Amino acid sequence: MTSDSTLDRFLRSIERRALRMAELASGNRDEALDLVQDAMFGFVRHYADKPEAEWTPLFYRVLDNRLNDWHRRRRVRTRWIEAFVRDDAGKSDTLAQVPDPSDPGPLLRLAGTQAARALDTALGGLPLRQRQAFLLRVWEGFDVATTAATMRCSQGSVKTHLSRALAALRRKLEAYQ
Amino acid sequence: MNEFERQPWIDDARVLLDESTQALDAASLSRLNRARQAALAQRRPHRRAAWWLPAAGLACSGALLLAVVIWAPPRSTHPLIAAPGAHAAAAASVDGDAVAGDDSFDFYQDLEFYAWLDAQEQDSDG
Repeated sequence: MTSDSTLDRFLRSIERRALRMAELASGNRDEALDLVQDAMFGFVRHYADKPEAEWTPLFYRVLDNRLNDWHRRRRVRTRWIEAFVRDDAGKSDTLAQVPDPSDPGPLLRLAGTQAARALDTALGGLPLRQRQAFLLRVWEGFDVATTAATMRCSQGSVKTHLSRALAALRRKLEAYQ
Repeated sequence: MNEFERQPWIDDARVLLDESTQALDAASLSRLNRARQAALAQRRPHRRAAWWLPAAGLACSGALLLAVVIWAPPRSTHPLIAAPGAHAAAAASVDGDAVAGDDSFDFYQDLEFYAWLDAQEQDSDG
């Protein structure tokens, strides 16, 4: 049986990223803390006895479920409002936008807290699935298969979400300057 | 090569996200700590609620009370063999009578005479 100290160490190692991820999804620190707490409870209850190597994707899977639930509830509450302010980033054909490798990119042109704020705003404006694909693939470093398992979708969907997320982020960050 | 490895700005995004985790305020970190502890606490085996403890305490108290009622000596109504508190009250009452009544006072003054008279009678009997 897994010891408490091992679990504690794992949760401690992951909690800050989880909080930021939840905060980007909810846009609210308190909501994010509640979501992370729920995820911790769910993870410990269901997956604590799984092999330690599987913990990280499993934890993010639980968190992803919580974020989806939260997002669904919020959509129900704000259905009519959202219809007017819906972000159309996911609708554009962003796959056609090929980045220029020689371009330093939008973040390098911003400085310090301004860049952080721009990134937060851009990430916060992404649709949930795109943001999760970006964070899990780019920030957490999961491969496509692990990201797909975590998000409970196909690998093709992960690639599509990520591609759209990258294009939307780039466009939003460019627009921020 | 991954689609994002070709875009250098993504490394900056990664760095910024990492930095943002280090800039969390103390209140948030405290809540994370509490959440973690609470999550871990649910793994610990629940101690069965000691429902019998209050009942046992009540039973012991009842038995003790019963024992006291059964075996305690009955309270005497005689002032001189009553409880210690009663002794003091009785003595005070006697002193009060002695002070209050002139006859009683005379009686206590003649105690030596009565003692001498008693001794004389014993001598004559002997």
